[in-house]
Amino acid sequence: MVLVALVDTRKEFEDLASTYLPIAIVVFALVLLGTIVPLFVFRARRRGEPSDREEPPWLPIGYAAVLIAIVALLVTLTFNAQDKISAKVTRPGLQVNVTAAKWNWRFDYPAQHISQIGGDSTPTSLVVPTGTDVRFNLTSLDVIHSFWVPYVRFKRDAFPRRTTSFVLSFPGVGYHTAGRCAEYCGLKHDQMIFTVEVMSRNDFNAWVSQQQRAQAARAA
Amino acid sequence: MSTATTTLPRARGGVLGLIASTDHKSVAIRIFLTGFFFFVAGGILALLIRTELYSPGQQLVNQDHYNEIFSMHGSTMIYLFVVPISLALGVYFVPLQVGAAEIALPRLALLGWWLLIGGGVTMWLGWFTQNGPGDAGWTAYDPLSDATNTPGDGMYLWIIGVMLAATSAALLSACILGTVMRRRAPGMTLLRMPVFTWSMLMTSILMIVAAPALLVAMGLLFWERVYGGVFDTSGGPIQYQNLFWFFGHPVVYVMFFPFVGAVGEVIAVFSRKRFFGYRAHVAALLLFTALSTSVWAHHMFATGQITVKYFSLMSTALIIPAGIEYLDLVGTMWGGRIRVGVPMAFAVGFILQFLIGGLSGIFTGSPPLDYHVTDSYFIVGHFHYTLFAGSLFGFFAAFYYWWPKVTGTFLRTGIGWIHFVLLFVGANVTFFPMFFLGYDGMPRRVADYDPQFTDLNRVSTIGAFIIALGILAWLVNIVVSLVKREPAPDDPWGGHTLEWATSSPPPRHNFDKPLPPIRSYAPLFDARSGQTAKIEKAEA
Repeated sequence: MVLVALVDTRKEFEDLASTYLPIAIVVFALVLLGTIVPLFVFRARRRGEPSDREEPPWLPIGYAAVLIAIVALLVTLTFNAQDKISAKVTRPGLQVNVTAAKWNWRFDYPAQHISQIGGDSTPTSLVVPTGTDVRFNLTSLDVIHSFWVPYVRFKRDAFPRRTTSFVLSFPGVGYHTAGRCAEYCGLKHDQMIFTVEVMSRNDFNAWVSQQQRAQAARAA
Repeated sequence: MSTATTTLPRARGGVLGLIASTDHKSVAIRIFLTGFFFFVAGGILALLIRTELYSPGQQLVNQDHYNEIFSMHGSTMIYLFVVPISLALGVYFVPLQVGAAEIALPRLALLGWWLLIGGGVTMWLGWFTQNGPGDAGWTAYDPLSDATNTPGDGMYLWIIGVMLAATSAALLSACILGTVMRRRAPGMTLLRMPVFTWSMLMTSILMIVAAPALLVAMGLLFWERVYGGVFDTSGGPIQYQNLFWFFGHPVVYVMFFPFVGAVGEVIAVFSRKRFFGYRAHVAALLLFTALSTSVWAHHMFATGQITVKYFSLMSTALIIPAGIEYLDLVGTMWGGRIRVGVPMAFAVGFILQFLIGGLSGIFTGSPPLDYHVTDSYFIVGHFHYTLFAGSLFGFFAAFYYWWPKVTGTFLRTGIGWIHFVLLFVGANVTFFPMFFLGYDGMPRRVADYDPQFTDLNRVSTIGAFIIALGILAWLVNIVVSLVKREPAPDDPWGGHTLEWATSSPPPRHNFDKPLPPIRSYAPLFDARSGQTAKIEKAEA
């Protein structure tokens, strides 16, 4: 078996943030020092006249070079992460078609012939196996919605009359209540949630057979 | 210049003056008062939002009203408050700073004020319609804003209101642009204009570029609602967003430049130093302006329908001009002799708090990070740090700095400090928790939320009421200072720029005595320090 790296949006987010955040904190600390120190050191009652030095010409140029280097670093890291997130996955482990509509979700598993749709009291449940790439095809029946799973640090807008695709993988096994619409979509936008259940491969297969039997029973 | 003064109209007083005076100072004050009215109105809506969010579930308002309230809060604050007062500062001070007797196109400026009132009243009349005011957010994305999904007259009134406000902003910008281009005093070359005037020049250019895109978006949205057939294709909704954000991102800088310019003036004057790195600052402003028209789609990373890398690169590149502006602001303080007055406190507050907004903005310029935080409370925290904790602090710096010039009196320093401290504490208590709420998964624009977010929401709500107290202190300060007047001299701070070379308030045609020689961007500073004589000697 060839080990292919999964599309891991959660890891890409955390890795990238672990570079961005320290830089942001250092910059903030420098500016904080830069503004607070002169408030104490260069008080009005200090003797002597204020400095009338113009900035030396190398200063803005050298400083701009440092800024350009920071931009280059951040953009390079971002592009690398972006390439991994939007990598072409030719053979995903599962395909789920997501349909958003005011104010509910439907998850269709075309290969398994399963449909998940919730009611007023029970939100729709997205059930996925862990450790595999899942391709989502996302669309909307009315206004723009957004499919957001905070656990995998990813969201994608659902547009009417248009389908967008993306690939996610779900590390770990567990149950998450927080999947939801993130694009304001009218009256009950705040209620437009779903749950995410990540299962081991075996549990997922068992769940699929169980769902198929249940749907066959309903049809009969 | 000298011949023009005889043909200009005399100042009008009374009711006719109120409705028809074309004196730019009077127009600016009326724009400010109009914006101020809508600031209070939008602020009350903000308090309703925060009160509802104090606990999960529904307490104060239902979902329908909540959606109206946050939509009108955002629309009011952006279209009717921050943009108008940004331009009001320019309408008042740009002619003074360039040594002009009058703004260019004064009747257009007056029309700009009337259109602002018309826009605001039209938008707010929505509250009296059957379905309430426009409630599709301040962005009014199609198809949510179409006739099927947001029926009712309130949405039409909202669209017309936005069009009037956008036209107002474009006209006021045209006046400022014209003043800078045609009305500068002899000796006032472009590279001798004060940093605030440079900021306003770039602001007015951006507004003139951006406003037509908004007008087109609103016009098409109106058409879509009445007849259909505009955005109801597979690419329609994304085209609306492209149009909207082609306005929406430049306008972010319209709401930033004037305040960074004003803060630059305050810092230089209160440090008793020339502004540091003037030319680099001007170059940074030009770069900012150029970049800001090619970053709009970073608001749309999560749509999956734009070239993410291009917009990520352009957005991250904003670090370069922003970094240079920050070096210049901080560098101006070093080596100075700093008086820590209320304007200076607000200016330093602006520098630090806007930085939090700016740094969090760098995160959102990176798509893999933005996919998670966009449309969450992280974004709400981000833009409130730029707009409230940033721009509004910059505005207050300008307000305390220029109040003596506009009124000829001082504001009370003690109440000013109370105002500053309450606002500083309130802003950070309100907006900092939002970063964590968003990271943890709370979306924006919701009336109800998961109970796990309760604690941080409570902190944020408490902060909002501290802000309200701070604003109250500001109002008390204005009333006290107007009732018991403490007269201010013409140049109370030791100003650098020409507005301080005339009486307070300035006469109808701004300068009733000859202007000092203009040999740099700080002519009054030169005159005091003997620089002018030195330059003139060198030139001779």
